[in-house]
Amino acid sequence: MARSEIMLQRTKRYKKMVLFPLILSIMLILGPALILQLYLSFNYYSIYSEGWWASEWYALDIFKDVVADERFHAAIIRSLGFALASTIGCFVIGFGLALLMYKNFRLQWFYYIIFIIPMLTVPIVIAYTAEMILYQKGPLNGILSSIMGRDMLIMWITNPDIALFTVVLMEIWNWAPFSFIIMMAGLASLPKEPVEAAQILGASRIKIFFEIQLPLLRPIIVLALVLRFLEAMAEFPKTWAIFQGGPGTSTETIPVLIYLNTWYYFDWSKAAAMSYIVMLMMVVIILTAINILQKENKRIAQVQAN
Amino acid sequence: MTKTQKQNIDNLVRYTLLTIWLLIVLFPLFWIVATSFKPDKDWLAWPPVYWSEEPTMSNYSNVWGGAMEHTETQYAQSIQKPFTALRNSTIISFISTFLSVSFGAFIAYGVSRYKVLSETRMFQLLMLRMVPPIVLVGPLSLYYTTIGLIDSLTGLIAIYFITTLPYAVWMTKSFIDEVPIELEQAAEIMGANRWTIITEVVFPVIRSGLLATFLFILILTWSEYLVAFILSKTDAVTLPVELAKYEGSSEGRVYGRQAALSVGITIPLIIVGITIRKHLARGFSFGMIRK
Repeated sequence: MARSEIMLQRTKRYKKMVLFPLILSIMLILGPALILQLYLSFNYYSIYSEGWWASEWYALDIFKDVVADERFHAAIIRSLGFALASTIGCFVIGFGLALLMYKNFRLQWFYYIIFIIPMLTVPIVIAYTAEMILYQKGPLNGILSSIMGRDMLIMWITNPDIALFTVVLMEIWNWAPFSFIIMMAGLASLPKEPVEAAQILGASRIKIFFEIQLPLLRPIIVLALVLRFLEAMAEFPKTWAIFQGGPGTSTETIPVLIYLNTWYYFDWSKAAAMSYIVMLMMVVIILTAINILQKENKRIAQVQAN
Repeated sequence: MTKTQKQNIDNLVRYTLLTIWLLIVLFPLFWIVATSFKPDKDWLAWPPVYWSEEPTMSNYSNVWGGAMEHTETQYAQSIQKPFTALRNSTIISFISTFLSVSFGAFIAYGVSRYKVLSETRMFQLLMLRMVPPIVLVGPLSLYYTTIGLIDSLTGLIAIYFITTLPYAVWMTKSFIDEVPIELEQAAEIMGANRWTIITEVVFPVIRSGLLATFLFILILTWSEYLVAFILSKTDAVTLPVELAKYEGSSEGRVYGRQAALSVGITIPLIIVGITIRKHLARGFSFGMIRK
């Protein structure tokens, strides 16, 4: 046998060997759960049933019920809005900080270390701490009152018009560091020559930023936005721990609604059907995102190679 | 305006803005620490008590020492087992992270050198991480109940292994890509087989990268809430889930105890995170950003 053929066979063997544990664990853990989820969305299961295997065939009725459910529509819109708002918020603050910091200055290391702490903090800890801070008679309103010189008693938690915004603020506090570190890395890897050349030609800082730095940074910006958006769609601990979807339904995002249906209303089948629809929706979003990332990844590699 | 004046203004603006954000970042952290030293009456006082006049260690001794004194608020004491949770969190996060990084590194080597996964497959692997876990944890908990894995460390280790694998593969691949292939060719000429090349040439070269990957995934697993919350009941409870149990039926949350436990959960992560700060961008971007 030729040497190249032996190599090819060895590669095939290696491939089988290393992928085996991955495929096995997906088949043993995720596979059955996915099948069960599909099963539950066609068979009505309640806690009064003997077990999930003893549920009743409902055909497409559960799906029809979910598709027509206005609360579900509202949750989808809320989740998308939440993810979008927090992604933009994180990005604006993170990029802003990175722009202020990417050039070396004396206390750079100090600010950098402090600024990454929020994303290292356990989300559920952030939730409970925020709850204390955000009470109507809590320290945040206390500080705002002393700054404004009059009593500021904003109902961060109990006002249904503000509650979702409060979650956005927590998410920004938690994850602005993500955009910050990514954009710091991006700015640090920019080639210096084009900026210097433009400076010599007398271009203003604003012009240099918009016409040279921003276009070069585009792939990295896209990366920061896409990854943050996907994570925000899945946010659960901060939304749940303080609000449980309330006041009213004002913080009922997709994860919260599915959780409520499963473990509060014990409507497992409805939750399964919802999950299925959400999963399909997310797969479409993720495939689009992956498509974008795959293209931008090549450009990122180019920028980084400089 | 001279150039120095302009620079001074620049610096003033920069430090002002940075310091404002610094205070926003530090205040909640300060509040956790301050609350952990406050007696019950100061937790929700108005006007807010920023630093208690009678600081107390009772929250810490209550949470970590199980002390029974100082407890006018002794509700829900019996269900709290912080040491069990600490043990569970440690076992679960270390084992699942170790498995994820070891298997991930071998896959990553295969991808980097032999393209065992095409680029498209590599991006599809990200799905394991990007699909929100909530869509599957319900059926998963039923399935785990059926096969007896509910409320077990094994069950949690398995699911964390799967969901962190994309990070492990992508991040270690980014390190392996940087190892010069000549190194391996030299080893091959000297008669080393593939196993020896990987374990004795490649892995030692990227050992700091492997350690960074390990610590990075450890942070993610340690702080995970939703999956642990749903797949554990009493025996496999992890620290983030334990934290939610400091809640009385009538009096609301037991903030001081929660804060004392929070400090214990968070400080190790912050230390680990700061240690690997140069690799955080690489980790969170699945190795796409390498500097």
